[in-house]
Amino acid sequence: MRKRTVRSESLQLLRSILMIWIASSLLVSFAAAQKKDIAVVVNPNNSVTNISFADLRKLFSGGKRTWPGGPPVKLIVRAPGSRERLALLRILAMSESEYKQYWTAQIFRGEVDAEPFTMPSFGMVKEAIKVFPGAISLVDPDEVKAGMDLRVIKVEGHLPGEEGYPVH
Amino acid sequence: MRRRAGRMYWSAPLSLVIFLCLALARPASGQNSDSENQKAISSLLQQIKELQQHDRELQERIEALESKQNGVDQKDGAQRVLNQEKDQSGVQNLRAEGGQKSQETTSGQSQPPATGSVGSTSVEGEALAEGVSAQLHNFHGIQWRGFAEVDYKILNQRYAELGTYGFVPGSSGNFYTGDFDLFLASHLSERTSVLAEIDFEEHDAQTFKVDLRRMLFKYDLNEHFKLSIGRNQTYVGYYNWAFRSASWLQTTADRPLVMEYSSDGGILPTQAVGMFATGSIPSGKLGLNYVAEYGSSDTIRPDINADGLLNDENNSNYANLGFFMTPDRIPGLRIGGSIYHDQISDLISTPGGVTIGTQAGSTNIPLESERWNQTIVNGHVVYVSHGIEFLNEGFLIRHAPIGGGEIFNTPAFYSQFSRKLGPIRPFLRYQYVNASLENPIYNDVSLRYGPSFGARYDANDYIALKVQLDRTARRGLPDLSGLHFQLSGTF
Repeated sequence: MRKRTVRSESLQLLRSILMIWIASSLLVSFAAAQKKDIAVVVNPNNSVTNISFADLRKLFSGGKRTWPGGPPVKLIVRAPGSRERLALLRILAMSESEYKQYWTAQIFRGEVDAEPFTMPSFGMVKEAIKVFPGAISLVDPDEVKAGMDLRVIKVEGHLPGEEGYPVH
Repeated sequence: MRRRAGRMYWSAPLSLVIFLCLALARPASGQNSDSENQKAISSLLQQIKELQQHDRELQERIEALESKQNGVDQKDGAQRVLNQEKDQSGVQNLRAEGGQKSQETTSGQSQPPATGSVGSTSVEGEALAEGVSAQLHNFHGIQWRGFAEVDYKILNQRYAELGTYGFVPGSSGNFYTGDFDLFLASHLSERTSVLAEIDFEEHDAQTFKVDLRRMLFKYDLNEHFKLSIGRNQTYVGYYNWAFRSASWLQTTADRPLVMEYSSDGGILPTQAVGMFATGSIPSGKLGLNYVAEYGSSDTIRPDINADGLLNDENNSNYANLGFFMTPDRIPGLRIGGSIYHDQISDLISTPGGVTIGTQAGSTNIPLESERWNQTIVNGHVVYVSHGIEFLNEGFLIRHAPIGGGEIFNTPAFYSQFSRKLGPIRPFLRYQYVNASLENPIYNDVSLRYGPSFGARYDANDYIALKVQLDRTARRGLPDLSGLHFQLSGTF
């Protein structure tokens, strides 16, 4: 009887440890999913291979309007509700309503010609990047595959998944 | 990377299943036998195997679908993108569909998605709504926007005064429509475009004045050199550049007095016809920019105390040079300044345009008005980011008679702070203008200072409601209090 109780207590302890381990891995998994890297992609003919985070902010806020080679920057963004959109808002330090108001103001000031293109899917983003030589967008790195007409560029010298990559 | 991501996606639900099973299991007791535990573990292992198998099947299906999608004619794909930009024919259908889907997803629009949400209904609905909005604002290549406002302002005095919009004599409270603004812009070539802003502004007795606030031919070589020619708001001050004539863009219900349009009692030359060059200066992380203007800012300014007289400044050509920086290290911060110079006269005319004298008191006909050098120095420190808006601008306006004589310096500033709290943005502003009573140019302005506070409520992305309480102390006059309600919007 005593032996059986000890065994049961050991099992309970093991079960508790297992639960703690699973709970921690669960939290880590969710945290990783929340902070998943987002890739910056451009047209493959674009000569830029690496940009700073500050330049990325300038590009997506319409402050930088030409690429070093000359083609005008074409902003392609994902619709509200997508993870890429959240990454964009984090880059610009804006809420969704501030983002919309910002672009209305920029057009009204005459600083930019039009709002960025909003695309509902990765497929549309991919096609837009193929069409416009100066296109830039944010995409889920898992969607990018070899042979696609787009190129992932480094941000602050890092690619998505690498330590220190700043776009989440 | 795919394998790693696949593991990550499934590790969470798998862990969740295991966690829940263990958590929901009754605490171990003497009644739980080893065989029961073994059975539970076997069952869990079986579930893991099934989930792994399901994962493999899903991966295979995704890869099959993607290879099929990659096989689609590339021309078709490119055409679809171009169609999204140019096609106008489906706007009505898109509007109906986008609006419907947008309504369905409004409540969850700021929630992060469970997955990458490629092609999910909510994202498609939002994209359609945003795409429709962009298309409706693009009519045959012409970008257009509209801004409107309706105001109700109560003052604790019964005589009209400009700068406070009290233009209904005998009434301490009145409705008015403020600025109704139509904005148009169109590309002429890759680097050239034309831009226009037409303003319908209410005046006394429900009369409306049409004002071509902006009409510019623009040439944008790159971000280092952008040239505009035509009529524009001057770059005297950040506020004039940032908010133009759109009340909806402003946090407050009105502009600070020093930045008010001259037709509404403002004291600075806010409009000009000429050449305007702007651009960034290669300066690394400093983010330096320049502004250079040359033109005519000829201004007729009604007396702010609404005595019915006009100050016809007959400005000569002006030059304005400004610099500002937007350092990379603090996004949203802008520090800058400008210096403006022209020559003006001190003529007084009636609302009918008949010149009747000079501010200095001369009534000789023909009038020999005195000419003055006018120099306006501006400095501003602005921070707009993370929901915070902190605007600070200071001015020193110097009037010096050309033939020699007493020089008058008029200091002015405003400081405005607001913080976005959900849809509400409470704000506080303090403003100050101190003109000498001896200054013949600003003898109607005198000393004015005081706070304004209130809140802006964004009902949606297009409509804002504002309420503002003002208290203005005036030299030689009783303090003026005002309560201002405004409904402003963009369309």
